[in-house]
Amino acid sequence: DQKIKSKLKNPFLKVEDRRCHYRPFYLQLSSFPVVNYSNPRPCSPFDVEKKNANGQKQIHNKQRKPAHSDREKGPVQVPAKHKRKKGYCECCMKKYDDLHAHVESEQHQNFAQSSQYQVVDDIISKFPCDFLELRENTPKVKRRKCSV
Amino acid sequence: MEAVHLDEQPPLNAENSFKKYESNKKGAITDIERLYQAVPQLANVFKIKGKIGEGTFSSVYLAIGQLRGGHEEKVALKHLIPTSHPVRIAAELQCLIIAGGQDNVMGVKYCFRKNDHVVIVMPYLEHESFLDILNSLSFEEVRNYMFNLLKALKRIHHFGIVHRDVKPSNFLYNRQLQQYALVDFGLAQGTPETKVDLLKVIQSETQQKSCTYNKPLITLESQVTSPTSRQPVHHSATKTANKRLCSISQTQIKQGHKRKEDPECRSVQRSVFGERNFNVRSSAFQARSTVRQPRIMDIPVRKLSVKKKTTSVVNNGLGKKTASSTSAKLTCDCYAKDSVCSVCLSRRQQVAPRAGTPGFRAPEVLTKCPNQTTAIDMWSAGIIFLSLLSGRYPFYKASDDLTALAQIMTIRGSRETIQAAKTFGKSILCSKEIPAQDLRKLCERLRGKNTNFDNSAGDIQVNPSQEFALPAGIGNASDSALQTSKKHMYQKQSGHEDDGREKKTTQKPSDLKGWDKIPNSAYDLLDKLLDLNPATRITAKDALLHPFFKTMKQ
Repeated sequence: DQKIKSKLKNPFLKVEDRRCHYRPFYLQLSSFPVVNYSNPRPCSPFDVEKKNANGQKQIHNKQRKPAHSDREKGPVQVPAKHKRKKGYCECCMKKYDDLHAHVESEQHQNFAQSSQYQVVDDIISKFPCDFLELRENTPKVKRRKCSV
Repeated sequence: MEAVHLDEQPPLNAENSFKKYESNKKGAITDIERLYQAVPQLANVFKIKGKIGEGTFSSVYLAIGQLRGGHEEKVALKHLIPTSHPVRIAAELQCLIIAGGQDNVMGVKYCFRKNDHVVIVMPYLEHESFLDILNSLSFEEVRNYMFNLLKALKRIHHFGIVHRDVKPSNFLYNRQLQQYALVDFGLAQGTPETKVDLLKVIQSETQQKSCTYNKPLITLESQVTSPTSRQPVHHSATKTANKRLCSISQTQIKQGHKRKEDPECRSVQRSVFGERNFNVRSSAFQARSTVRQPRIMDIPVRKLSVKKKTTSVVNNGLGKKTASSTSAKLTCDCYAKDSVCSVCLSRRQQVAPRAGTPGFRAPEVLTKCPNQTTAIDMWSAGIIFLSLLSGRYPFYKASDDLTALAQIMTIRGSRETIQAAKTFGKSILCSKEIPAQDLRKLCERLRGKNTNFDNSAGDIQVNPSQEFALPAGIGNASDSALQTSKKHMYQKQSGHEDDGREKKTTQKPSDLKGWDKIPNSAYDLLDKLLDLNPATRITAKDALLHPFFKTMKQ
């Protein structure tokens, strides 16, 4: 039963529960954060300055410019392909790599159509609806008679 | 509308969001069409105008509907991600119903569902981008903003709701109308006394059994998803939910032992009390450990779990006894030292809720304290106040919890942080001692309008006369003593009148907007909101009674 010890390098931060029941977690930084007063407002004082190609200090300022008038339309970009959204499904208790693919999977669809949503419906049933139905807005569904 | 969990992203007003999505018009239109397809009833009631926000767990659209009275009304449609658990969805609705609709807490008008697609209809409040207006607000506006934020927090805390994600993009502000709305209960948790029933289902950490050693794997609960198990519901929905969730609780899902956050330090984790991990044996000191760790993906993880009966649910064949006896074997002498070893690193990780946005997380969240209270929201309010007073947003910028903690220490002091952490059972070791900053000097210097002191380079430190020697002892007694002495810290300073009012003097240039005369009470309140000890941190109720607001209508 050999203990392998390793020393934390400065600067570091180590956090552990005082009862020592759990694994400590720690951080070893190249340098400890400092308040940088020279960052322009509204940048975070902890923003790390990046140097651009000309070697000048550059801080990305995210403040938006005032909106253009609606007539000035910028170039319309072709939307990038829908990024695959990764995530975790609470219904299926399963990680997924592609949201749309997962939602359409048999397992998820079984859940989606199950009575698990009763808890939501019970709440919905108590809502009064003070909106009118906009009949003219109802999309016209073309129904074809399937004459076989 | 809600700009949900877009960390470092200011909220969008409708106009700007259209701009934002303009470049992606095609995408936005298909999103709207998709929403109509997913929830067809919407088309009978609303004209969806555009997408105004997108987060990890929802997208928000602006829509127009006709009221029975005949006139039109703008609404925000929040389309929840279809992977949300029904109990979580219902809990969010319950929060909106119970706490919402007054005191600056967003209410709910209606809700639509088709299968796994749920759309919450809320009043639409056009609002500013925090970042855009931050440096044009008058001091009086800041005071009103904070007062109204605290009003909202007082209300939700009264109902035993911990919001967990208080930040500017979840607190809508309409400057012209002076209207405010706290939004997004998608991460909310209940206190033990919560009045929101369904938040009780989402378990509180204190009742949680510690997790045990086991092989990390993901089990699927097949019985749960069986479509044939459509039983008539004899009991209340809550009970059903409870029952169902209990069955879920026996399934454990492993989370990586090192969850990376993306560089934009967006928090996408929606961990829940009772989230359980397998212990992960570190491979750092064990070449090719026999425990296979699945590759951890950097993905949003939301875990729903359950309030477990104290009559022990089988926990993967191992109960608490096993866990504690195992930890007993895992003693080493690294505690509070600058080392780690194969023994301490082989202990299981502590699991505590972390959901929220890194820069707004309280120290007890960052250090994985299992008992988190409504005080975590008060810390977040303090961070917002810090932004308002310093003109900096986001104030903290960290990609992980410990970097965020290091940044907090840089402002509040390392000794102070370590001292406070002891009171909630955490030992922090920091290789460098960093003095606490004087909040007024810090904020004035960051705003760049310092009228009261010389703006020389170098870190500003607390005036030694105002620094408190920390008692050697630990625990609440010494801590409250510290609090008491702190109380008078700002009153002791001379040179600033604490009248709690913006003085109107005709000679002052109007562009100062009150920023030349900030009362000490402002920094005193900030100090109390950013109290490192959650037990003594000011509550929303007390904050509203603070001298800083003394001239305001309660």
